[in-house]
Amino acid sequence: MDNIASHENWKNCFSELAPGLLLFARQWTRSAADAEDIVQEAFVKFWRRNHQINNRALLYATVRSIALDFIRRDKRRARREATVFADADPTVEPQFEWEDEAKSALAAAVSCLPHDQREVLVLKIWNELTFSEIAGALGISQNTAASRYRYALANLKKSLQPQ
Amino acid sequence: MNDFPELENELKALRPARPSPVLFERIEEAMAENCRASVSDTGLMAKWFRRFAETPYRFGIGLAAAAAAVVLLLARINTDQTRNEDKEIAQVSATDEVRPVLPAVSGESGVDGSTSSNKFVPAGATQVVYNTRNEGLQFADGSRQPLRRLRYQTRQTWQWRNPSTGASLRVSYPSEEVVLIPVSGQ
Repeated sequence: MDNIASHENWKNCFSELAPGLLLFARQWTRSAADAEDIVQEAFVKFWRRNHQINNRALLYATVRSIALDFIRRDKRRARREATVFADADPTVEPQFEWEDEAKSALAAAVSCLPHDQREVLVLKIWNELTFSEIAGALGISQNTAASRYRYALANLKKSLQPQ
Repeated sequence: MNDFPELENELKALRPARPSPVLFERIEEAMAENCRASVSDTGLMAKWFRRFAETPYRFGIGLAAAAAAVVLLLARINTDQTRNEDKEIAQVSATDEVRPVLPAVSGESGVDGSTSSNKFVPAGATQVVYNTRNEGLQFADGSRQPLRRLRYQTRQTWQWRNPSTGASLRVSYPSEEVVLIPVSGQ
C-alpha cells in the first residue's frame, strides 16, 4: 500500500482497514456507534498529519489513545447508564459476521478473553500486524506481545473444548 | 510459535462486522471540514510556521535565518555609518544642494538630469498576512459551482535605497485582498 497521505482516494485505504480498526476499537466501547466515532476521529487525525500507511503501529496506537480518552470522558455517563440499565440485560452488538451459527461460540469465546490478550489477538488475526508492530501500538515488548498471543490462543482452545 | 494453526484458521474465518455506510460519509465530511479549517482558521502564515516546526531541518533553517539576521544588522550599522559621513561632508560643502528624495522613475525629466548618485533602487518588498477571514460560500453570476470567499488583510512594505548615500525610503500601507476559490465535491 502507498503512503496514505498522498493517496487521493482515501476510501480505498479506509475500506480495507475499517473492519479491523472497528473491531479493535470495539474492545473499549459497548456499541458499534461509539467505536465508529473513535475510528473516525483516529483516521482523520492520522490522515491530517500525513503519516505513512506502513506505520500501522501508529494508526492503531492513535485508535487506542482516542478510545482511552473516550472512556475517561464518558466515565460519568457510563456510571449513569450502568445505574439505569443495571436490571436490564446487557445488549451487546455482535462484533463479527458469520453465516454458520457454530462460529458464534468462537466469537463469544473471543469476547470472554482477558483484555490484554484480546487486543493482541485482534491486532494479529484481523489486522495482520506483526508482533513488532503490535508491540509499537500497545507500548509493550515484542516478547510480551507474542506471549499474550499464545496465552490467548491457549485460553480459546481451552474454552472451546467440550466439558 | 504456531501451535494452534487450526484455531488460527477458524479465527480468520470470522469476519469483523463491516462499518456502516454512514461512517464513510462522516469521514468524508470531517476531511472536507478539516481542509476548510486549515485554510480559514490557521491562515497561510500559521500553516507555514507549522510546516516549519515539523520539518526535521528546522534547527539548520533556524541557524541560517539567525545568520541572515546578523548580516542584515551589520549591513544596517554599516549604512548608518556611511550616512553620518555624508552628513559631515554636506556640512563642509559651501554651496547648497537640493537632491530629489522620492524614488526615481526612469524616463522622468528630473531623474534623467540627475547624477547616478541620486538614484534610488528597490531594496525590498514584504507582504505580511496578519488576518484571514472565511466569508463562506457564494455563487458567481451564471455559475453553478460554489466559490469560497476568503479575505486576506495584509500590510505591504516597499523599500528603496540610494546605494551611494545610504539613504532609504520606506512606504508601508495596509491592504485587503479577496480570493474566490472554487469548491468541488468529491
